[in-house]
Amino acid sequence: MWWVADADDAGGPVTNDAGGPVTNDAGPTPRSTVVVPVEPSPTLRATVSHVAEAAADGEFDAIHFVEIASWRDGDPGSDDRSAEARRVLERVSAWAEADLDDADGDTGDDVTVVSALIGADEYLFGPEDYVEVLAEYAGEHGADTVVLDPEYTPVGNTTLLQPLEFALSNTSLSVRTAPVGRPTRPERLRSEATGVRFAAMFGLSLAFYFVLGDPLYWFDWVTGVATATIVSITLSRISFDADPAIPRTPQRLVRGAIYVPVLLYEIVVANLVVARVILDPRLPIDPTLNRVRVIVGSGLPLMTLANSITLTPGTLTVRARDSDLYVHSLLPWAREGLFDGSLERWTRFVYYGRSAARLPTPRERDDHAILQGPDATEELPIAAADGGATGDDAGPEAAADAESGTGDEGVTDA
Amino acid sequence: MIETLGTLGTVRVGLIVAFTLLGLFFSFVSMVGVLRLPDVYSRAHTASQADTLGAGFGLAAVALAVGWEGAGFKSVLLLFFIFVTNPTAAHAISRAAFEEGIVPWTEGDDRR
Repeated sequence: MWWVADADDAGGPVTNDAGGPVTNDAGPTPRSTVVVPVEPSPTLRATVSHVAEAAADGEFDAIHFVEIASWRDGDPGSDDRSAEARRVLERVSAWAEADLDDADGDTGDDVTVVSALIGADEYLFGPEDYVEVLAEYAGEHGADTVVLDPEYTPVGNTTLLQPLEFALSNTSLSVRTAPVGRPTRPERLRSEATGVRFAAMFGLSLAFYFVLGDPLYWFDWVTGVATATIVSITLSRISFDADPAIPRTPQRLVRGAIYVPVLLYEIVVANLVVARVILDPRLPIDPTLNRVRVIVGSGLPLMTLANSITLTPGTLTVRARDSDLYVHSLLPWAREGLFDGSLERWTRFVYYGRSAARLPTPRERDDHAILQGPDATEELPIAAADGGATGDDAGPEAAADAESGTGDEGVTDA
Repeated sequence: MIETLGTLGTVRVGLIVAFTLLGLFFSFVSMVGVLRLPDVYSRAHTASQADTLGAGFGLAAVALAVGWEGAGFKSVLLLFFIFVTNPTAAHAISRAAFEEGIVPWTEGDDRR
């Protein structure tokens, strides 16, 4: 479908500067401006047509196509990803121009088409982050409507549309989903599960099966292939956020192998320190809850960091709320180590390479807070809601908090 | 049993004994910690200690004792899975406590 619009006329008033959108010929705006977040999806083309038709009918006089970056500038590969995103934006703008030309001579002409890449200066986690970036952009450009592509899923295979719609409903923007044919579910499964991820999952589970079994025995081949097939059908979509790629995945594995001895050393040292404290008759502990804002990507990197922190005795990850980790520390020594951020740098080394590991510590960035005790710099987020178990609001809301990653609602009626 | 140990070599037997004792030591510390520490969060710290180094040294001793073959390789795999699942479980427990609104114990708290 990509080539359909490339045939003719991509030379409209498209502004695709690297620095962001340049609004041109801004006159009086009797009609409204619409923001359309885009991402390569099966229904993107139809969504663009829908928006262009609506604009040609006089509903909108400016269409802003935005791609919200799921990466952060400066990550290795971010240049490639922004270049890819800009190609998508160019293509989408060309489609829209073509549709506007086709639709109607008169109204189609004064519709401005703008495209922009936004949100690349930070990692975005939940739907709230996406909506925040989107709402900010809409505010800057006087847009009051958002049209969503029904298949819009900016973070890999997570279905984000419904939470995104919910989060958008809390803003002043009016939201609607483009009424285009949604591909049926099986098609969607197929498009995500085929190919590299399936093969990787299959190979991995078969290899594991043969480690436990005997690769020279025919019966283990039959059962192994059957097991690996079932595992890859059910789990390849869940286990991989992105396709394993040739330079990246082996690089990560090698760097991970370097990290393991480092982590083991840290674990042994911390174990000895904690063991001494526990066996000390005075039990000189000083536990506090702390907050650290970490700069690692969502998903696997964040999990690696949070689990490494927990594996090291003396620090325990209690909550991961987007990029904020709530870490319980048993000793001031462990807390200081946490704020020095050595595990964060190592995680960045494993996932993004050596150059990405050079960054200021959380202490230098002021991304840390102690939430308890005499040195507390910030209020404990649950102090206001203590005894939440006794109230009748503990059940579904707490579960919803866990899902959405925002914990603020539970506190309000305490 | 004695005869098999005899064929393993003194260094190896020494390492096996050392690893077993270290595993026992860290499991013991972990048990003491669970009994002595004041609340669910601090106990989760030390409970995960038993898994990481207690079970870690124990399985290392097993791997050394059975050698680089089926069972030894499996014990290394076991170690790997423990290192992945143990922090996840500790996180799940402490997070459940946090969402129940349990405030972590601090110096001067009379719950103990």
